[in-house]
Amino acid sequence: MVFSSLTMIYVFLPIVLLLYFLSPNRVKNLILLVAGLIFYAWGEPVYIWVMIVSSLVDYLAGLVIHKYNDNSKVRKIALIISMTVDLGFLTIFKYSGFFIANINSLLNLNIPVPELSLPIGISFYTFQSMSYTIDLYWRKIKVQKNFLDYLTYVSLFPQLVAGPIVKYEHVQNEIHERKVNIKLVGEGTNMFIKGLAKKVLLANNIGALWTEIKAMDFGEISVVTAWIGILSFTFQIYYDFSGYSDMAIGLGKMLGFNFPKNFDHPYISKSVSEFWRRWHITMGSWFRDYVYIPLGGNRKGKFRMVINTFIVWALTGFWHGAGWNFILWGLFYGVILMVEKVYLKQFLDKLPNLIRMLYTFILVVIGWVLFDTSSLTEAGQLLKAMFGFGNDFIDDYAKYQLSSYIVVFVACILFSTDIRERVTRLLIDKKNTAKLYYYSLPILQLATMIVCTAYLVDATYNPFLYFRF
Amino acid sequence: MRLKQLKVSALMFLILLVVLPLATAFSKKETRSEMENRTLAKFPKLSLKSIKDHSFMDGFEEYISDHFIARINWIELKVDVELLIGKEEINDIYITDDMLIEKLEEPNYQEINKSVDAINSLAERFTNPEYFVLIAPTSAGIYLDKLPNNAPQVQQKEEVIDYIYGSLSENITSIDVYSNLYTAKDEYIYYRNDHHWTSLGAYYAYNSAIQKLGFTPISYNKFNIEHASDSFKGTFYSKSLYNGIKSDTIDIYTMDKSEGIQSMVVNDGTSETTFDTLYDRSYLDTKDKYATFLSENNPIVTITTNVENDKKILVIKDSYANCFIPFLSEHYNEITVLDLRYIGITSENVVNINDYNQVLFLYNASTIAQDENLKKMNDIFTVTE
Repeated sequence: MVFSSLTMIYVFLPIVLLLYFLSPNRVKNLILLVAGLIFYAWGEPVYIWVMIVSSLVDYLAGLVIHKYNDNSKVRKIALIISMTVDLGFLTIFKYSGFFIANINSLLNLNIPVPELSLPIGISFYTFQSMSYTIDLYWRKIKVQKNFLDYLTYVSLFPQLVAGPIVKYEHVQNEIHERKVNIKLVGEGTNMFIKGLAKKVLLANNIGALWTEIKAMDFGEISVVTAWIGILSFTFQIYYDFSGYSDMAIGLGKMLGFNFPKNFDHPYISKSVSEFWRRWHITMGSWFRDYVYIPLGGNRKGKFRMVINTFIVWALTGFWHGAGWNFILWGLFYGVILMVEKVYLKQFLDKLPNLIRMLYTFILVVIGWVLFDTSSLTEAGQLLKAMFGFGNDFIDDYAKYQLSSYIVVFVACILFSTDIRERVTRLLIDKKNTAKLYYYSLPILQLATMIVCTAYLVDATYNPFLYFRF
Repeated sequence: MRLKQLKVSALMFLILLVVLPLATAFSKKETRSEMENRTLAKFPKLSLKSIKDHSFMDGFEEYISDHFIARINWIELKVDVELLIGKEEINDIYITDDMLIEKLEEPNYQEINKSVDAINSLAERFTNPEYFVLIAPTSAGIYLDKLPNNAPQVQQKEEVIDYIYGSLSENITSIDVYSNLYTAKDEYIYYRNDHHWTSLGAYYAYNSAIQKLGFTPISYNKFNIEHASDSFKGTFYSKSLYNGIKSDTIDIYTMDKSEGIQSMVVNDGTSETTFDTLYDRSYLDTKDKYATFLSENNPIVTITTNVENDKKILVIKDSYANCFIPFLSEHYNEITVLDLRYIGITSENVVNINDYNQVLFLYNASTIAQDENLKKMNDIFTVTE
């Protein structure tokens, strides 16, 4: 199920919240568990067993790691088993088709490519569950002795299918004891409505334009059309993903959990490395904590650092999808980050902020070209069109779409900066304006909810991009 | 103050989450949406199978959105918001000052070629009748100047009508109605909220067509015009749900007071109904008021008129013909009307083509650019000696 659907907001959520708020604390986890399993099965009625089995294995591995506190060999074996099962499922379901297809074409073989559908959210919950056994192995967290509580953590429905990637560490206390009160529900509401608006009003709206342009022949489109197209995707993926994270964090708050922030205005970053500290923060830190640093990070000399960086970025790309374009997209960032770190940094620091933001933004946009085109030829064609090789600068189509989407574009640009936060700070700074702000916010939220509901009722266009991951 | 805001927001959110579902649960459930011309989703059957193949979940979500409280009003609100933020088309309908205009799909030339081949081949196989093709422009082909600035649109005349006319065999006469309609474009020749031409538009087309068919057109002032309804909101309205365009008028053109026919036999594929008029006025009380003409689209309609000659014409058509045929009924003794979209491929030799003096293909340029039914003629009409 996706959050941005009528069924979720007006059927599932009211029932779950009502039961959750009215029930005593000791059954709250059980309600969450059942809700999480129903939520997951709603989208994935068959492969729900994958999630349950990998949770069970990690839970048991956790018990073993805890019990054999002094036996480093047993601890290691338990960890390896748990990781093998987690990564094994991920590989089988997500990557086997890709591997076999590549082996076939490389060795001229004809191994049948398995047609497995990707269990929803497997990339997310596998990473979450792995954080538990690894951190336990490193003795960073306490063991979870109750399987139902552990499964509640893995199947926690707000972040189950699309992040943020919540490490067990983040919730190990809250899973047993958390506050549930109207103040938190209010904070959660603020966050949820913001996320819903991002997803329904911005991402879906601008995404329709990219869908249309993506279907065109990139060899024929004008420069402006090419830019409108890829900028649409640039904003679609940001508002889709960060909107979903906001909704998850908001729902978490309502239930009494504090999930980590996942996005922090990435499109106003002043360097690419800053971008990756602001974009999908929980994934970045997962790869840093569980891949980059264990590999030695930058502590083992320059050469190892370069190798480690490339491993991390190839994996990051690959995590986003089983295709060469995703690996290429990851390596593209690997290269840029290296160059930035070694050469560009001193130089960039001297430039005006605006130029640095522009430099970062354009590279990120080029990244999205690699990310969302189906072949290198297509990516090349789109880049050629963007940078004006051969085609008109602007045509009627571009003019028409610009005038149709100008308001959406302006909104997308404004809300990707921190202007909203700045204005809010200014307003709550003075007593009069603070009053105005706090009084008008609920009205604004009500209006947003109503307009979002209108769009959801109409919902001719409501795909959720991150189900692929 | 901040705490107060949080409390108010939380309450607002929770109230919304309770009120809308309850209102939905206790509202009356319609089975059909006239507005969208479709049946609304029923509550899905719960079974292990329907859960496993996901049809229960899909059906449930469809049910919720189809029966959501005040559904149409929500969609209208969305349309208003879209227009407010500068969109000029809703669901492939351009919103202009005084009419709704369809955003045409790219012509499907593969299918067009098959249709043209089927027409050419029919004329080759049955040599007795004379053959005529009339491709009517839709409002999208006439009102290019009303579109929003720079809006993409297929050039219907060049890309569809001229293309088809250019591919027909020499023994088939094409009938140009574009120029007549274009000259009359400031008159009420197309519905503002529907994809059809008005009776007046059909009259202008008749005026050019009937001369090619070998008759003298009856002049406009000989007709009595009955304003049968002035509250017609057709398919373009249903698609866009945009309320800002004036409702349409359904006009019925008759000669003298009588409606000039002996009988109209409508075969809907299973049974036959006989009318003594070309107009089924029961449709005037429904949403689909255009269906008044020839009583909706039917596979086969046979009209016997009071005209005393031995002229028989076969009209193979889409719904544009429905308000055009009344004009033909002043000239032919017998008119057979076939709608290939509703004829099964097994119904061989539904009519004997060689019995007719003339065969007229009448389609609008928007339908024929996507139509996949004309090629059925290869199977339906076979030569049996």
